[in-house]
Amino acid sequence: MNRWTVGLLALALVSVIFSVSIGREVSFPEALSVLWHHAVFGYGTIPDPIADRIVWQLRLPRALLALIVGGGLGIIGAAMQTLVRNPLAEPYILGISSGATAGASLFYLGFLPPLISKALTMPIAAFAGGLCAILIVYSVAGSRGHLSVARLLLAGVAVASLMGALASFITLSSPDPDKLRSVLFWLLGSLHLATWNALIWPAISVSIGLIALLILARPLDGMLTGDESAHSLGVPVESVKRILIVLASLVTGSIVAASGAIGFVGLIVPHAVRSFTGVTHRKILPASFIVGAIFLLWADLAARALLPGAQLPVGIVTALCGVPFFLILLRRNRQGFG
Amino acid sequence: MRQICLLLLIVTGCTASSERERTIQDDMGRTVSLPSRIDRIVPLAPSITELLFASGAGSKVVGVSAYDDFPPEIDSLPEYSVLPMDFEAIVALDVDMAFASEQVNNPKNADTFAAVGIPVYFVAVNTLEDVTRAIRDLGDLLGTSEAAQGRAMQLEDSLAQLAVLTANLSEKPEVLFLIETATLYAFGQGSYIHHMIDLAGGNSITRTQSTRFPVLTDEFVLSENPDVIVGSFGVEFEMSELLSYHPTWDILSAVVSEQVHGFDSDHYLRPGPRLVQGAWQLAGVLHPDAMTGP
Repeated sequence: MNRWTVGLLALALVSVIFSVSIGREVSFPEALSVLWHHAVFGYGTIPDPIADRIVWQLRLPRALLALIVGGGLGIIGAAMQTLVRNPLAEPYILGISSGATAGASLFYLGFLPPLISKALTMPIAAFAGGLCAILIVYSVAGSRGHLSVARLLLAGVAVASLMGALASFITLSSPDPDKLRSVLFWLLGSLHLATWNALIWPAISVSIGLIALLILARPLDGMLTGDESAHSLGVPVESVKRILIVLASLVTGSIVAASGAIGFVGLIVPHAVRSFTGVTHRKILPASFIVGAIFLLWADLAARALLPGAQLPVGIVTALCGVPFFLILLRRNRQGFG
Repeated sequence: MRQICLLLLIVTGCTASSERERTIQDDMGRTVSLPSRIDRIVPLAPSITELLFASGAGSKVVGVSAYDDFPPEIDSLPEYSVLPMDFEAIVALDVDMAFASEQVNNPKNADTFAAVGIPVYFVAVNTLEDVTRAIRDLGDLLGTSEAAQGRAMQLEDSLAQLAVLTANLSEKPEVLFLIETATLYAFGQGSYIHHMIDLAGGNSITRTQSTRFPVLTDEFVLSENPDVIVGSFGVEFEMSELLSYHPTWDILSAVVSEQVHGFDSDHYLRPGPRLVQGAWQLAGVLHPDAMTGP
């Protein structure tokens, strides 16, 4: 634990308390008293039941989902950028999110039967969709061990469009037209469905992702130097790449199932992080997790605050911040094209 | 020779169109040239179908959109798609004029219709008063003023009667009207739904929302704590469905007192004559004792 980790964790904690305590409906001290009531296991004065529900059942799960989703997107962004050795990679841009959306909407709109349980089928469908998308993109972009960045981005755009069209087709031909409006909101990326129960699968898969990537931190460092030199360092490059693709699909799938496709967090965050951690993955990954979590929490706060009493999908906010950032990077990133 | 033929064609084309003398302003402020005879018409949205039938012009309707399901007279009419607009199917019906909804139809569709010689009249219904005004306007336009006037007055009387019944009620419950159960789409400011709730003896809690169709947060609903929740959830709706999406609402006054009701969406979401029935239905659940039925 070095200084910035402690600082970031403190910032995350303050952000959660802030996010849970502000809002039109419940006053700041009232919200703090609800948090305190639960923090000391129900000791002391019992808070107003409505304030209790708003803070403990609605705002806190939503804030935690923002942390999990933002953190997950942050680490997957970092891993994808290492996988393709280019700062423009991200699950949204490479089509994984769109693939996951297409898979999840198949289930959401009643085209796939629930396999084990409803809560588990949607992430599985999203995982399968995301995996399909990235496998297509990756196989188009690579030839004989060399990965063309231009082809990667173009294939990502193409597959994202394809999967988007598929999701639209599924949505519009749904046997249950009343679900259309809900799907629209979810397609744009929104945390409004957060409940304590909805946190379970994203939390498990993001934890698996974070732990697995931390175990792979050294091979990932090696891969930054290029496939051949990574080989000579004893890194099983192809296996690591396969693991990364599956991990990215797994984490993105569970995130998309919970909150829809939220773009550009995985792009911005690892960049911001590298500027103060350097390039070693033992530092980038935890920092990307915390910074991604904080970023999405504040983006969601903005999405909640823009229309009083009503809400916007948070995906709109992240796209508003992320697209200009992507364009600047694209402009700067001369090497590796053409 | 060929050029002369072409010229002649253009000239005769012009004289044909100059036969249309009457022009009229529609609800969007567009100037619409009326054909000399309006015998075959089509509605481009379900609410417009209902308005046309209410204005006494139902017998002129020769086709309806695939979304239409009311009144029963339309069952035997040919159907066409309106989203996206199936221009060919409508042209094939040989219609004199089309009637569009400002809420549903894209004004650009009118340009395509104009190119094939079908004028489009846009109807805007944003208030309950607009319903009866639109019925009268359509009656005047289609030569069925008397029938339209009769139906409009009948609807106005019904609303006035409801207003009398609910005018002196001591309690006006706080009402939340939702469009669906999972994502909390509601009606924002300027909607007719608040007037309907008002007439039914309630107070709509979303009347000040700044957008037309806001998506509410669960915490807004919790803090407003409505006495009654009603929605276009369909007639088979059960309260447990709403609670499964919004488990924190179990302490709301409306839920505790089981004042959560689902209605058929057409009486609320379709801005036409059946809104009046919708207002009575609302009054029936808000003040069951004061109502004697429409």
